[in-house]
Amino acid sequence: MTLLEIFDPLAAPRAIGIDLGTTNSVVACVKNERPEPVADCNLEVLVPSVVSYREGGEIIVGARALAEASAFPSSTIASVKRFMGRGADDAQTKQAGPYELLAPDAGEANIVRFRVAGDRAITPVEVSADLLRALRRRAEDELGAVGGVVITVPAYFDDAQRQATKDAGRLAGLEVLRLLNEPTAAALAYGLDKKQNGHFVVFDLGGGTFDVTVLLLEDGVFQVKSTGGDSALGGDDMDHAIAEDIFRTLGWSGAPTSPATIPAAVVRLVLDEARKLKHALTTRESAGELMLDAQGGASMYELTRTRFEAFVAPLLERAGAACRRALKDSGLKASELDGIILVGGATRVPAVRAFVERLFGRAPLTDIDPDQVVALGAAIQADILASHEKRDDVLLLDVIPLSLGIEVGGGVVDKILPRNTTVPTAARATYTTQEDKQTGFVIHVVQGERELAVDCRSLATFTLKGIPPLAAGLAKLEVTFRVDENGILAVHAKELTTGVEQVVEVKPSYGLDDEAVEAMLMAALDHGEEDLLLRKLAENRVEAHRIAAATEKAVTDDAALLVGAEGERIGAALAALRAAAEGNDATAIHAAIDALDKETRAFAGRRMDRAVALAAVGKNVAEVEGSLATHDTTSH
Amino acid sequence: MDPFALLGIERRFDVDLRAVERAHRHLSRVVHPDRQGSEPPGARAEALGRTASLNEAMRIVRDPLRRAETLLSLAGAARDGEGPMEQSFLASMLELREALEDAKDARNLSRVRALAETVLARAEATKAELTQAFRGADEKPAMLDVARARLAELRFFMRFAEEASLAEDVLSEGGGAPLEG
Repeated sequence: MTLLEIFDPLAAPRAIGIDLGTTNSVVACVKNERPEPVADCNLEVLVPSVVSYREGGEIIVGARALAEASAFPSSTIASVKRFMGRGADDAQTKQAGPYELLAPDAGEANIVRFRVAGDRAITPVEVSADLLRALRRRAEDELGAVGGVVITVPAYFDDAQRQATKDAGRLAGLEVLRLLNEPTAAALAYGLDKKQNGHFVVFDLGGGTFDVTVLLLEDGVFQVKSTGGDSALGGDDMDHAIAEDIFRTLGWSGAPTSPATIPAAVVRLVLDEARKLKHALTTRESAGELMLDAQGGASMYELTRTRFEAFVAPLLERAGAACRRALKDSGLKASELDGIILVGGATRVPAVRAFVERLFGRAPLTDIDPDQVVALGAAIQADILASHEKRDDVLLLDVIPLSLGIEVGGGVVDKILPRNTTVPTAARATYTTQEDKQTGFVIHVVQGERELAVDCRSLATFTLKGIPPLAAGLAKLEVTFRVDENGILAVHAKELTTGVEQVVEVKPSYGLDDEAVEAMLMAALDHGEEDLLLRKLAENRVEAHRIAAATEKAVTDDAALLVGAEGERIGAALAALRAAAEGNDATAIHAAIDALDKETRAFAGRRMDRAVALAAVGKNVAEVEGSLATHDTTSH
Repeated sequence: MDPFALLGIERRFDVDLRAVERAHRHLSRVVHPDRQGSEPPGARAEALGRTASLNEAMRIVRDPLRRAETLLSLAGAARDGEGPMEQSFLASMLELREALEDAKDARNLSRVRALAETVLARAEATKAELTQAFRGADEKPAMLDVARARLAELRFFMRFAEEASLAEDVLSEGGGAPLEG
């Protein structure tokens, strides 16, 4: 913070971008039209994604939590991103880390819970929320008030992982404007910097996830062509490979994957040393360190770059296969690419850079710090989404990374939305009953590319009941999938002969339902977050004024597009909103916004029709309005 | 839904995909939810639905099979089921299929690729015939029957190409090898 920036309690809230990374997190915001990372008082930008829970309730986040990790091995959660949206029985969950995981009791949801600070059970969503809260405070120290936030997620995150991230944002008291895919964020930061059109590949090797995305930049539109990756591959795996070698060399039995045989504190210590060796090998040909051996003495462990590169090779093979698939999906050849963008701290490893250069046949772009580029892109998108002037700037068109479908007869998956479908999107499919007098449909929603449901990620199962008993094949079930701009799925099922229907926000068995998040929010209020309600009220008021102004302007500009008593109805809803904004009830303001939303929908649609007609080809306004007038009388 | 009308492009089989993508981007700039910041609140829900339809239209037009199906149904000429296929066509597909299985078993990548190329060439020829059939249908509606027959064949080719492509992935050398041209 410079001396000139005096804290101003009345400063307009600023939208921020957060890169919630596996190893490190960064918060950034746009200042003077440029994205900048927010540093702490030591000018440190990276916040280690480490949260430590102490007995007595203290929560420590970041560098100090990392520094003291070996003293509190099982109460310090690092790389929590690896656990987001995963089930307690997931193979990924059981791997790695000196954590004490609580098994869910019979009948309980299949949620991961860490045992920390003696007896506290905590979920990955809560750990992420604590991390986000610390980042929010850092931004508040610098900016005064913080408005909405864009949080980045790996493009390859599935629906459950996205839901979990969004829940964490809510739990941290943040208004999540958007979940943005990390590679798209990186491209945004690069694209705006370079003002260049063309096809780009973003190669993003972070601490715990690998993503590859092919996108087209054209005249301010960033269109994702294809994306692929591995949500369990990253720099941490390099540390683990080194750690395993250390354990082998120094006579410890077992590997870090079986912490039962090696004390948790030792595992943590060795993983830290492994990471330091990896960093040292970025500039040196070999590195060594004194380590605790199994006999209680200290032995020298030496690692050459060549040997380290042998550990890395199988990981890069996996990354290469994902690149091959993504490029094939995009329909492009390597020679048609205009640039390769490197993202993620792990791309600093010389072997990774050499690998990328060999794979794509060209040197990658590295001019923006790979640790910051994602947060900078998120800040740009947050600034765009939060600004309400009509600006002719960028638009991001992203895709779903994995196919979405439902399980049909024989355990086979019927794909409803294929991978790389541009979002937002919707698709529907119809099914019939297989048995006579069947009165319910079980709908099993899955995500993945494999043919059988058991091989895909199970997102949710629900039952549509109350269908009258009919002969097999007579009942008709219509299932609609809707994916919003965050990449989050909602499923709607309807039986067509009876009209019985059900809408399901897909809340995976691994996630938390709305009540659970609500309960956690309430608990947070008890723990010194009492300003949350006040903030919510202030935010809703600002939003109410903005919406009222936008609506008034539209109604004044386009009175001719109002039909019948529509103008009066909108006027009444507007007055109600203004009245609510004067009051102190955040919920009432929200309800008034919803009411105005409904009243303005058809009108907004007509404005859009006109804009579309104008955009289509250089028709003049009079011509368009003439055709709209006839359109209105027939269909509205 | 008429995806051609939604994208504001001419209704035909031989579309210029680059032009279609441009139209899609252009319209997205107008109807995307992210562009509604200064609009009344109802614009967002409206934008979400329209953008989803626009994206679906793009998906249909980009896929030659769905494009042809849509043209048939817009012409009122869609039929359930695939009708009888020519015996000689089925025999040649059977042969190709056996050849693909043999190549897979022998882990013969270049053979798999050669077969895929053969079939893709035939698919291209069929697409050219589809173009002609849809063009002719303006004058002679009976051409729609021809289009339907060619579409059934194109389905076989595309399915084959997909399987060959999966086999290529399986047989391809390790992920680290340089990407082709």
